[in-house]
Amino acid sequence: MSETREIRTDYLARVEGEGAMLVRVRGGELEEVQFKIFEPPRFFEALLRGRRFTEAPDITARICGICPIAYMASSAQAMERLCGVELTEPVRLLRRLVYCGEWIESHVLHVVMLHLPDFLGYDGAVELARDRRDLVELALRLKKTGNELMRVIGGREVHPVNFRVGGFYRAPTAAELRELVPELEWAREAARELVRIVGALEFPDYERDYVFVALRQPGEYAIERGRIASSTGLDIDVSEYERHFTETHVARSNALHSSLDGVGAYLVGPLARYALNYEELSDEAKAAAEEAGLGQVCRNPFQSIVVRAVETLYAVEEALRIIASYERPSEPAVECAPRAGTGHGCTEAPRGICWHRYALDAEGFILDAKIVPPTAQNQRSIEEDLVGVVRDRLELPDEELAHVCEQAIRNYDPCISCATHFLRFEVIRE
Amino acid sequence: MIAAAVCLGSRYRGDDAVGPEVADRLRAAGARVLECADDPTRLLDLWDGLETLVVVDAVSTGAPPGTLHRVDAGAGPLPRELRLASTHAVGLADALALGQALGRAPSRVVVLGVEGSRFGMGDALSPVVEAALETLVADALAELGIGCTSGR
Repeated sequence: MSETREIRTDYLARVEGEGAMLVRVRGGELEEVQFKIFEPPRFFEALLRGRRFTEAPDITARICGICPIAYMASSAQAMERLCGVELTEPVRLLRRLVYCGEWIESHVLHVVMLHLPDFLGYDGAVELARDRRDLVELALRLKKTGNELMRVIGGREVHPVNFRVGGFYRAPTAAELRELVPELEWAREAARELVRIVGALEFPDYERDYVFVALRQPGEYAIERGRIASSTGLDIDVSEYERHFTETHVARSNALHSSLDGVGAYLVGPLARYALNYEELSDEAKAAAEEAGLGQVCRNPFQSIVVRAVETLYAVEEALRIIASYERPSEPAVECAPRAGTGHGCTEAPRGICWHRYALDAEGFILDAKIVPPTAQNQRSIEEDLVGVVRDRLELPDEELAHVCEQAIRNYDPCISCATHFLRFEVIRE
Repeated sequence: MIAAAVCLGSRYRGDDAVGPEVADRLRAAGARVLECADDPTRLLDLWDGLETLVVVDAVSTGAPPGTLHRVDAGAGPLPRELRLASTHAVGLADALALGQALGRAPSRVVVLGVEGSRFGMGDALSPVVEAALETLVADALAELGIGCTSGR
């Protein structure tokens, strides 16, 4: 007699946007896992057509309230490359600095408020806050440090208004940035503490031999620039992305599924960056990672929470380093004259590489746009993780199985709103 | 009394615009209106030290459009039956619950809601909600302890 088990999570909580998950088990064997994105399509690529090239950063910023800098930086980079313009070094460093702010606020929000409750057995941040006020207060203050960087450089915390193709409308004064130093110094200690806290968690026993994809830039932990590299030896300019990666539509999802040609599913985000760019981390970040039990490569997706905390520490240190040597640039931006052609941009959003392509006419109007956000790229990997996690735990009751599956999905800090073009949960046992 | 208002809504979604419309009028009358377009956990800092928080929003309870609702939530959770809709994972009710768990919430929360009827993209305020605006603003000012309340 065959037994049917069907486990559904209709709306996944503690993720950004709307998605669902279905697991179908027939006769004790795992038959199917689906990770669905049903957040409605948002048509950003279509509404960019006919707009000026200078508008792309402010329009694409609206794709996400958590990681607007990623969209602004990738679109601006695409336009700058097309115009043949290179940022001056101080302006590039300002862009890296504001991006550090986004990494800090996005990572801390996910690590403590969204993901940590899974590990400590709480329903959410509110329940966690009742018992662990110290931890939640630490997270809120740390997150605020990131928001302050966004505010001082970007003009406000969300959807910054001071960001433009070629640089910024106004460069902050050295004094304005130096005011942030005492809080950033507190944040460095707090981030170290956060790494220790999450490093001491118990992690579900699960590893997978991922193909990692991340930006790589010699001499730095790549954030706002770099070539696209993989653990299989890929090393390409961002303009060559479409020759190696393909996006396909699958009926269950409003987000396109990405694959690396000849490989299939691949992983972007903290684990990929950490594996490919470990050597570029600061000594302090490496030491904190080691103390938290990480090797130079981490293949247990549940430990991504530790890697995010290590990256938070790195971002705080990097912010302090940039501010220490900051001199206000004479010009906040490089003027960009449009030309007909195609430009490509790619930067490391907190969740992984965020790739953009724009075609412009000679007057600088956008003819065509393509945006590949990180969560879309990770969809196949999320499903493959779920297969592995469920296959090893079929004996668990549905409720426990659902819990570990949701935790596995949150390993990816999935930004469904960004990916849509996503969470309900179902386990079907037949 | 240390008081401020939080007005929720989108100007581009029909009756949901009632929050921002009330915010404009409250500011003009000298009231303190908290602004938070992003992560509601930021509200914990914004409402630091407040005695009274007035929440203004369009609501959808099934009552006739234009019906005014007033709920004094005290220091407790926001009533779920008002269905303060949020398109985001964390809404005001969650931020308030988080603040209460951390001992960082206003000592009293009053919700002023107006029953909406249309929330489509690009819709204007419905006439019945627009007609309720003046009373809603006067009620909010009274809750905030500003000006006279005889306009009602």
